[in-house]
Amino acid sequence: MRRLRRFLKSFFLVDILRGLAVTLRLYFSRKVTVEYPEKVQVPAPRFRGLPRLYRDEKGEPLCIACKLCQRACGTNCFDIEGKRKEGAKFMRPEKFDWKLDRCTFCGFCVEVCPTSAIRFSPEFRLTGVRKDGLLFHRDEMYLQGDDLQDHLCGGCRRVP
Amino acid sequence: MTPFVADVLIPLGKIAAVILYPMVMVVVMIWLERRVVALMQGRLGPNRVGFQGVLQPVADAVKLFFKEDIIPRQADKLLFNISPVLVMFSSLLAFCFVPLGEPVRIGTTTLTLWIADSPVGLLIVLGLSSISVFGVIFGGWASNSKYPLMGALRSVIQVLSYEIPTGLAVLTVVFLARSMDLVEIVRRQEASGVWYGFLMPVSFVVFWISAVAETNRAPFDLPEAESELVAGYHTEYSGMKFAYFYMAEYAHMVLVSSLVVILFFGGWLPPFQGVKALAFLHAVPGFIWYLVKIMFFLYLYVWIRATLPRYRFDSLIRLVWKWLIPLALANFLVVALVRFLR
Amino acid sequence: MAFREIDLNMGPQHPSTHGVLRLKLAVDNEVVLRVEPVLGYLHRGMEKLWESLTYTQIVPLTDRLDYLASLSNNLAYCLAVEKLAGIEVPRRARYIRVVLAELQRLASHLAWTGFMANDIGAMSVLLYGFEAREDILDIFEEYCGARLTVHGIRIGGAVHDLDGPLVSRIRAVLERIPKRLADIRSLLDENRIWKERTVGIGRITAGEAIDYGLTGPPLRACGVAWDMRKDIPYSSYDDFDFDVPLGTNGDVYDRYLVRLEEICQSIRIVGQALDGLPEGEFKAKVPRVLKIAPGEAFHTIEAPKGVLGFTVRSNGTDKPERVKMKSPSFINLQSLEHLCQGNLFSDVIGILGSLDIVLGEIDK
Repeated sequence: MRRLRRFLKSFFLVDILRGLAVTLRLYFSRKVTVEYPEKVQVPAPRFRGLPRLYRDEKGEPLCIACKLCQRACGTNCFDIEGKRKEGAKFMRPEKFDWKLDRCTFCGFCVEVCPTSAIRFSPEFRLTGVRKDGLLFHRDEMYLQGDDLQDHLCGGCRRVP
Repeated sequence: MTPFVADVLIPLGKIAAVILYPMVMVVVMIWLERRVVALMQGRLGPNRVGFQGVLQPVADAVKLFFKEDIIPRQADKLLFNISPVLVMFSSLLAFCFVPLGEPVRIGTTTLTLWIADSPVGLLIVLGLSSISVFGVIFGGWASNSKYPLMGALRSVIQVLSYEIPTGLAVLTVVFLARSMDLVEIVRRQEASGVWYGFLMPVSFVVFWISAVAETNRAPFDLPEAESELVAGYHTEYSGMKFAYFYMAEYAHMVLVSSLVVILFFGGWLPPFQGVKALAFLHAVPGFIWYLVKIMFFLYLYVWIRATLPRYRFDSLIRLVWKWLIPLALANFLVVALVRFLR
Repeated sequence: MAFREIDLNMGPQHPSTHGVLRLKLAVDNEVVLRVEPVLGYLHRGMEKLWESLTYTQIVPLTDRLDYLASLSNNLAYCLAVEKLAGIEVPRRARYIRVVLAELQRLASHLAWTGFMANDIGAMSVLLYGFEAREDILDIFEEYCGARLTVHGIRIGGAVHDLDGPLVSRIRAVLERIPKRLADIRSLLDENRIWKERTVGIGRITAGEAIDYGLTGPPLRACGVAWDMRKDIPYSSYDDFDFDVPLGTNGDVYDRYLVRLEEICQSIRIVGQALDGLPEGEFKAKVPRVLKIAPGEAFHTIEAPKGVLGFTVRSNGTDKPERVKMKSPSFINLQSLEHLCQGNLFSDVIGILGSLDIVLGEIDK
């Protein structure tokens, strides 16, 4: 009896019809695609985007050129030289080269920074067409948004 | 009507239609396939070029047209170049014999919706559709490469095996209709009031399964199984020649769907002929019904592809020799017996 | 009939070698006679590179080994270093690690189900598996900001604490996964084509599997109950109640069933860990410059692919003298020839897929 039922099930393609029913049901289900240039997903608050340097509320740079990030970095992204101006309270970076092409987004520099000067930004667009767009000098480390995109790819990206 | 119109313009128009109609259907089919598969997988699929992405296949074809045409150094140039043409040609030629509807009367003249009306149209269409396998064999052989060769060998065995159940299933239809004329078969279905697909479901299922196998479609897409043979027999092709193979495959699917509709589902006849209350269905032109039915079977192709895994080579052959052919033979005997007793 | 044997190169750019693996196949028609995997196309010199990095700097690089299960690599390496340095990990941190590692197992197995089904030709399942995995990657993004190379476990604990909103989000995702799994199972489990392609293919007996050193789901599919989480518990795994799913035949179908059942068990473990999440620190106090006295330690965990182990040898500085990795994919791959012999060419893809290899881990 069980063998007969198995034969009938197999003869009338029950397994295949059940599969077809699943795909048909999903045909009408919700789609997960996010249509990118029109709709942009907001990354999570802790998202590890492009690391950026930040300033405090008064517009003063936060970085004090302590080179902790340079030491923490496993892939030698940083090349920092600091200098204390006459009468200034802190050292400031004279040179702050950061290489995007070496970065693994591990987050050690962000964790180790005593003044929270270097932080992850939510920027996830990292493509460019020129190699030198991947090298950031001190002032370029403060760029955000469209200016940052201009630096990365030399203004090739269409602004929607 | 002047002789010029009757003898020159109408035939030319028909020839253009026979080339354009499959091409348009191919474009629609490629779009349908990509969209439907995507929607079944929770994605959206191409929806940028044209309305809902309808023109995506055209954009792809334009792209392929400008691609470099690579001929491998060790390839057999003649066969390598001929085979895409052969595949495309046989698919398109078969459309000459596929009627699109009953003759239309415009004023005093009647316009037939087919190019060639042959008493053995069914045979010719089946024959032409199996010529395309030569293109596949030549293409795979001439590439002088291992993956295409394996794809071509698989294709030969598969198409040859599946011709038999196809033929047996078609024979039952010919038995009932007492004709091999495709128009006549539809007329007989109109006269008998029941479409052959409902009269002989086994024939239909056998024909459909073998048709899917003959068009090298999932779950029988072994000759071009992309996860095994990279791209099968057209691995070495590029540019427009690749597009030819691609389009021919889809044209073949359209052809097979047309055949299924004509043989088993009443061609251009509206459904529910006998029911008086649904007589308004007759107001819709037959050609629309025909297209709707074809689209259903094209959708079925895509639906199956999105659902099923791929057969292995030996089980594919086992399926046809141990199941389909005996089933088709038994079905044939039953139909013959019933026909004889009545 | 004359013996016609041809050599067939599969890869390094083949759609289903899961990366840049090259297989030298000797086939007679479609019957496979010999298989020789050729490795090294993804070799990055990881183990040598680690000798020039500090103990902490190595952690993000372990993400790049088995990139479908980066947290498991983090965990294995961190456990080895902690064992060597004698760092006591707080209980809460251990629970957080269990949650992360089991979520990673879910993600890895779901991706595997998709890849495997796609290799056999069921293309939709690939997308269903990835859709379910996407939810888990979103959790990782919420937790520490990265999705694939997560770097979420540090020496001494985890990188962040698990807070309330995240816990409820994980629970919501865990409720969604079984539904997705049910779709996949009704597409594949009973399907005649799927069964023909998997049942009895790539069989290996328990004894042979042990001889080849198979670990993970391929071993358990033969019926050998060997799971590091049960047999040599680490990171508080002995607190949780879960089963080790076992197969009987050791074929591709059983490996598929074992992995699907492991998904259900992982959901159970994560649920228990979230319920019993103890109070306390999520990270032990670890000196910023970690110097470890000379010594050597070896630690294994049950990664999604099998038993993953790290040997770390220290020499008193802040950098290891030598780190050696025992990668499950590498060891599982060597049974490929045995599994494939006499099968058809199409089955090589299914068998290779069923071993669940990741080339980042094989070539290091």
